[in-house]
Amino acid sequence: MAGGMGGADLGPASSGKKKPLDTTINLVPFIDLMAVTISFLIMTAVWTQIGRLQVSGAGGPSDNADEMEKTVPLTLLITDKELKLTAGTSSFDPIPILRDVKGRIDLSKLQMRIKEVRGNLPDQAAITLQPEDNVRYEDLIRIIDECIGDGLPNVSVAAAIG
Amino acid sequence: MAIQVPGKRFGKRLQRSRVFGKGKIGGKRLMVADLLITPMVDMFVIIVLFLIANFSATGEVLMMTKEIRLPEAVNVKEIEMVPVVMVSNEQVLVSGTVIGRVEDLSREDYLNIPALEEKLREMKKQYEDLHALAKDESGKFKGDVNIQADKDVHYKIMKRVMYSCLTAGYNNINFATQTAASSKGEQQASTRGL
Repeated sequence: MAGGMGGADLGPASSGKKKPLDTTINLVPFIDLMAVTISFLIMTAVWTQIGRLQVSGAGGPSDNADEMEKTVPLTLLITDKELKLTAGTSSFDPIPILRDVKGRIDLSKLQMRIKEVRGNLPDQAAITLQPEDNVRYEDLIRIIDECIGDGLPNVSVAAAIG
Repeated sequence: MAIQVPGKRFGKRLQRSRVFGKGKIGGKRLMVADLLITPMVDMFVIIVLFLIANFSATGEVLMMTKEIRLPEAVNVKEIEMVPVVMVSNEQVLVSGTVIGRVEDLSREDYLNIPALEEKLREMKKQYEDLHALAKDESGKFKGDVNIQADKDVHYKIMKRVMYSCLTAGYNNINFATQTAASSKGEQQASTRGL
């Protein structure tokens, strides 16, 4: 990388000539540049990576009739004790909410349930979440994240249901 | 008392000091030390590479405060520069303007927050007017809004904030989250031996 004290040995001089071939790289401007770059990068560094989860307010029916035939209205009711998934007219058994030591919801059962639905309806991409008033924002975000991760990118959150 | 040469005179204890005294008494220790540049330059290069890898050209979209602790999510998109509604455990703000206190909003049974709706409509109008003046066809209003809320806020407040955004014409709601490391990605990396 850097030569010791900036010296670079380019080999012995050719026989008969006394012209020295040793050169010295001046490291001072290099170090100055490094110091300035480090200062700039530290000042402009982003220490927390922020992202976004896109959702839409629960709206009307889809415009595409063909798509409607291949999919069903998938709804997830979120209470502080359980998650209730409904696909069209059939509803699944409620999933009790279990939390780990950090207080985060265990979503493995919901993941299995969504995979089951996606197995029967491969074109299904939309889900509507209906949280109750006392549901924490963190839990809602975790469920939205899980839905997107399990192949349901069109997440709607019912804004007007209470 | 003996006459001495003018100048600094240190006590007997400091006569052996390398700084104040003459070092080793009677010795000929060389007081010149070389500064090793190589490890310093190596360290600089590593720091610069690390900082460049972490560099983000997006800029500061959200104003991070200690009142708002963002929840974590994995499947996120890159955040964009759009209006931000901040919801802490105490108050609701838009562009630094306080809209209302969460305590008061929790007591009300309305579906929307009129002050928030009004402010968002005003911002929408400003955006449209500016782009109409500039005759900018590409800058059409898309209705994007970022909601930066604390993870302990209840959905009762979020519901009102979201409803106000929707009625003000902001149909693309984005929840700001902290990007967490993907456990699936980590598993894949470990199976590949990375």
